[in-house]
Amino acid sequence: MILLATLGRRLLVAVPILLVVSVLLFVALRVLPVDPAAMSMPPNATRDEIEGARRQMGLDRPLPEQYAIWLGHAVHGDFGRSIHLRRDVLPLIGQTLPGTIELAVCAMVVASVLGLAGGLLLFSLRGRAAEAVAETGTTLLMSIPEFLWALLFIFVFGVLLQAMPFTGRLDPGLERPVVTGFLLLDALLVGRVDVFRSAAVHLLLPAVALGLAFAPPIMRVLRSSLLDVYHEDYIRQARLRGVSETRILLRHALKNAILPTLTLMGVQFGFLFGGSLLVEVIYSYPGMGNLMVDAVRNADLPIIQLVGLTYCVVVLLINSLVDGLYLVLNPRLRKR
Amino acid sequence: MPRWLRSGRVIVGLLIVLAVLSCALFAPLLAPHDPDEQDLLATLLPAAWQAGGDPAHLLGTDGLGRDVLSRLMFGARVAMTVALVASFGAMAVGSVLAYVAGYLGGWADWLIGRAVDVWMSFPPVILSLILMTGLGTGASNVILAIVLVDWTRFCRVLRSEVLVVARRDYVAAARLVGFSHWRTVTREIVPATIPLLVTLLTLEMGIAVVVEAILSFVGLGVKSSQIAWGQMIADGREAIYQAPWNLLAPVAAIFITVAGFNMLGDGLRRSLDVRMVEGRE
Repeated sequence: MILLATLGRRLLVAVPILLVVSVLLFVALRVLPVDPAAMSMPPNATRDEIEGARRQMGLDRPLPEQYAIWLGHAVHGDFGRSIHLRRDVLPLIGQTLPGTIELAVCAMVVASVLGLAGGLLLFSLRGRAAEAVAETGTTLLMSIPEFLWALLFIFVFGVLLQAMPFTGRLDPGLERPVVTGFLLLDALLVGRVDVFRSAAVHLLLPAVALGLAFAPPIMRVLRSSLLDVYHEDYIRQARLRGVSETRILLRHALKNAILPTLTLMGVQFGFLFGGSLLVEVIYSYPGMGNLMVDAVRNADLPIIQLVGLTYCVVVLLINSLVDGLYLVLNPRLRKR
Repeated sequence: MPRWLRSGRVIVGLLIVLAVLSCALFAPLLAPHDPDEQDLLATLLPAAWQAGGDPAHLLGTDGLGRDVLSRLMFGARVAMTVALVASFGAMAVGSVLAYVAGYLGGWADWLIGRAVDVWMSFPPVILSLILMTGLGTGASNVILAIVLVDWTRFCRVLRSEVLVVARRDYVAAARLVGFSHWRTVTREIVPATIPLLVTLLTLEMGIAVVVEAILSFVGLGVKSSQIAWGQMIADGREAIYQAPWNLLAPVAAIFITVAGFNMLGDGLRRSLDVRMVEGRE
């Protein structure tokens, strides 16, 4: 109940944010030095023809009017047509978003597992000589962003060892089942083990590359909140009662230390979702990131606009969910 | 010797940053070749120590026969320029807004807080791509895009610090003595937040190096006539089987530079004893 109520409240706040975001996107993209109308025409088009295309796209009207028209269509689910691909934009998002979510969720699982395990490891090294080494290690880990991991993995596992595929989502020759759009899920739904295996193998490198980049901050926050929690009286109490150290760590300390870590993981997931763009480009993974980069190269405004908006919607949704979860897990924050 | 210089991390970080900076500044003197000089008879040479390598090209040559090491050194120029200018710019915008929001409170705080909310709902990579679409390529636009994206990193963290500092007794005392608002902020509050600012600034420089590389990699960074690490990576990816150093060299350069800034920032954070929100990007 609390989760739903918070979620509802947060989503209400998200609506005006999204409106402002859409205005900003609109303005940022309309100061463009390139002319999308001219780009959509064949190279031998006359000036009049280009002018006609501009008028048809509504690009000759004042900016606020253009926005009002766009918004009017948008609330009816019409986000315009791609200038370059000459298709409606909304289905394009529908086709690419599940792939990106699949990648981001898998990467987040990798980041969480590595982050939490690493945080516990760092914490268990406290006061020992190895601590300094481990801390320098995390600083160095934090210096490798996702796209460097992605490139290094391609070099090591794809080129040197030739052990892993590093383009696309499936082996060529396998047909892609489409039920929900989530490939792993779809493969299971239609009962194709070979498709599932191929998809999982293709997803492994991108997901680990993306996850690795976002694990070190989780390690650090978990470690420092564990250090904070261990100063509390209830830890000493538990010790006096003869509770074992492992049990103190896992049952008493971790429960409280996980809260700040969870907040950070929510923020991280937002960043990770954006970071998936580069990983998609590097692994030629057909998702929203590649759609976006292609659109940017072709100055395909309707696509850029909707993809940008979709990224924001996802981030806002994640933030609202994390806030709700936080309240569920931390009764102290609940208001009567 | 000041306390912050006694930290091992600070010294190592500083040495790395200074080394990269010297490569950038003295690239014309240090580089063994003209970075744009093509030698179409010696394309995609492997590194000097590998079979078929040429001692004249330590890290080999790229697809047009240009010397990788020389390009790496000239690439440091764009990376360091962007890192320094963009992070100072982001700090200027973000910290001024943070002081205004934290000190004045009220509607100014509300307005700035909502602006941060809007900005934070964009993943940074997406926002910078959109801005570069609008602005067009070029080093100065890369800098502008980073400033416009990353001011929130400073604003968010610094605002909460200002809130704490502004409630201290000596700030109230300064007001009672008759200091104007301007003088209270500049003389009492700003100095108290300098350690945090320095730390954030250093970490932001590392972030700026990465963002510039990302934008140049996608082809939306500096002009294609300029040498940038991100572009070298994009080119090197094509030649990954024949001459892997085309790819590995710029990857290593980015890692070393970012690690330098991160070590420096981390060391400063510890020795200046700044409570800081952990987070990346």
